[in-house]
Amino acid sequence: MPELRQPPYPTVLKPYGQSLVALAKERDDIVCLTGDLSKQCEIDLFADAYPDRFIHAGMAEANMMGVAGALARDGFVPYVHTFGAFATRRPLDQVINAIAFPNLKVRIMGFMPGVSSPGGPSHQAIDDVALMRAVPNMTVVDVADAVEVRQVANAIVDVDGPVYVRLKRGEIPVIFGDDHRLRLDRADVLTRGEDVALFASGMMLAPALAAARLLEARGASVSVVNVPVIKPLDAATVADVAGSAKVVVTAENHTVIGGLGSAVAEALAEAGLGRPLRRVGLRDTFAEGARTGPYLFGKYGLSIQAIVDAGWTALGRRDPAPVADSVPADEGEYSPV
Amino acid sequence: MTRVSDPGTHWEVTDPARLATMIRLRALRMVAPHGFGYLGQALSSAEQLAALFTVMRPGRDRLVCSPSHYVIGFFAAAAELGILSEDDAATYGQDGSPVEAIGTERSPVMDYTCGSLGQGLSAAAGFALSDRLKGKDRRTFAFISDGELEEGQIWEAAMFAGHHRLNRLTVLLDANNSQVDGPVDTITTIEPIAAKWQAFGWTAQDIDGHDVDAVIKALAAAAEGDKPYVLINRTSTMRGLDCLPADADGHFIKLPPDLAARAEAELTGKLERRDA
Repeated sequence: MPELRQPPYPTVLKPYGQSLVALAKERDDIVCLTGDLSKQCEIDLFADAYPDRFIHAGMAEANMMGVAGALARDGFVPYVHTFGAFATRRPLDQVINAIAFPNLKVRIMGFMPGVSSPGGPSHQAIDDVALMRAVPNMTVVDVADAVEVRQVANAIVDVDGPVYVRLKRGEIPVIFGDDHRLRLDRADVLTRGEDVALFASGMMLAPALAAARLLEARGASVSVVNVPVIKPLDAATVADVAGSAKVVVTAENHTVIGGLGSAVAEALAEAGLGRPLRRVGLRDTFAEGARTGPYLFGKYGLSIQAIVDAGWTALGRRDPAPVADSVPADEGEYSPV
Repeated sequence: MTRVSDPGTHWEVTDPARLATMIRLRALRMVAPHGFGYLGQALSSAEQLAALFTVMRPGRDRLVCSPSHYVIGFFAAAAELGILSEDDAATYGQDGSPVEAIGTERSPVMDYTCGSLGQGLSAAAGFALSDRLKGKDRRTFAFISDGELEEGQIWEAAMFAGHHRLNRLTVLLDANNSQVDGPVDTITTIEPIAAKWQAFGWTAQDIDGHDVDAVIKALAAAAEGDKPYVLINRTSTMRGLDCLPADADGHFIKLPPDLAARAEAELTGKLERRDA
């Protein structure tokens, strides 16, 4: 089993931005586009290092996607940056017709997934995975920690088609050990158990690991699976792990419709596996503007407790569920709620 | 199938005015088996397409067709010039054919079309930017329509190209005053067109879009400027086919067999008399 750190997790700043600069040093076909969110998407580093390959598209996402498609057709590998909400909603038609249908190597980097932004429904990409997953040819990635974030630009560079990546902004927790390898073709089984198969992606991995520890302490053994690639889903691992568990729980920083939970449900059904399924995520609702992301994670059921309760009730346990207690985190540390 | 900018692609235009009539005739023959279709787009753009293929350097310059209903004219021109095979052109819009009636990214001839209206100018700007990044001597020609000016993305792209001074980008704007619901000017006021583009940092010029020599001259001159260039072609979706009823819907012309036969006779007669 892979090495995992314990919360509170240390954090790092701008791991993606640094990795893209490193990639651009090796590959002169990398170009970087920004929709007026350069610092926020960590690509101020790229602008400093490679100003000739840095393109301001301004607040014009539709045009940005069209320009990116043409650059890709010409042999460049454009990395396009904005918030996930703006990358997937407004220019959906452009992503579909100018990028996905011709299967071009455009990398769409959507920052601030789900309710990690307290910026309100306009800025919260709660449906981006569903939208991008529905688009043919699109690969959809939601990385969990800084070790994966550092690798993602490199991991996707040669994918033969468009890729959508969700990236948390700001301080990124370090959950995995340094030897962890982000793979696009395989979900990672992090723990093995016989009661609950718990599939998590992106920012929900940290609370999933915490929830698993609480369940284990009360005698429910849990398989925790990190699913960085939601499409194409590693359905074989899903079926394997779910098949050896009594119940299945999914956890995603996204609406429960169309994202990881739906993908897992489809894989289970297609494998003929009947397992009680609980999907943790936004319950077909918009969130709201707030001061902090963690408040929203708690309020909208994206918490350790929500995952514990989902597993507990799915198992049919009648005794009170274990109570989650967030590990205190100091400045520069990260602990899931 | 070939795109115009593919290395090794070759064609030659000897008589642009005659090519325009041949585009009309070919488009008529492509639409006739369906009984209706985007013939009006070919009629309004025939001279512009003839001019484009005269000015473009085969295997080098790029061609974007933004309003994808116009691809019929592009296919017709390409078939006349040997870029698209007769057989492929004959499958236009038929089941299983890659020569789709509404163009997509798998369509031959053009370098980009996008299918959904208002998107092509962004792709064209991307090509022009790419050439600048690579230091390539290529021009990018984008064909757009007046109805598309209602789409916001056109103006995003116009601002982008103006800001980046993409002077290797040349736009032909087919101002035929036709869209699905009727004349453009009854639906949305898009005038003054030239002043809008000028305000966005472009060189803009109004022209009679059926004067093929004037269009050729303007396209050739456009290469010399330091800004992107838009040629606003005033045209009609009924042009060059007198037998069409005055109330025909220029966006989607109905072409029953008897009308198709009269149209065929009119255009072949014109070519035989060499008055086009």
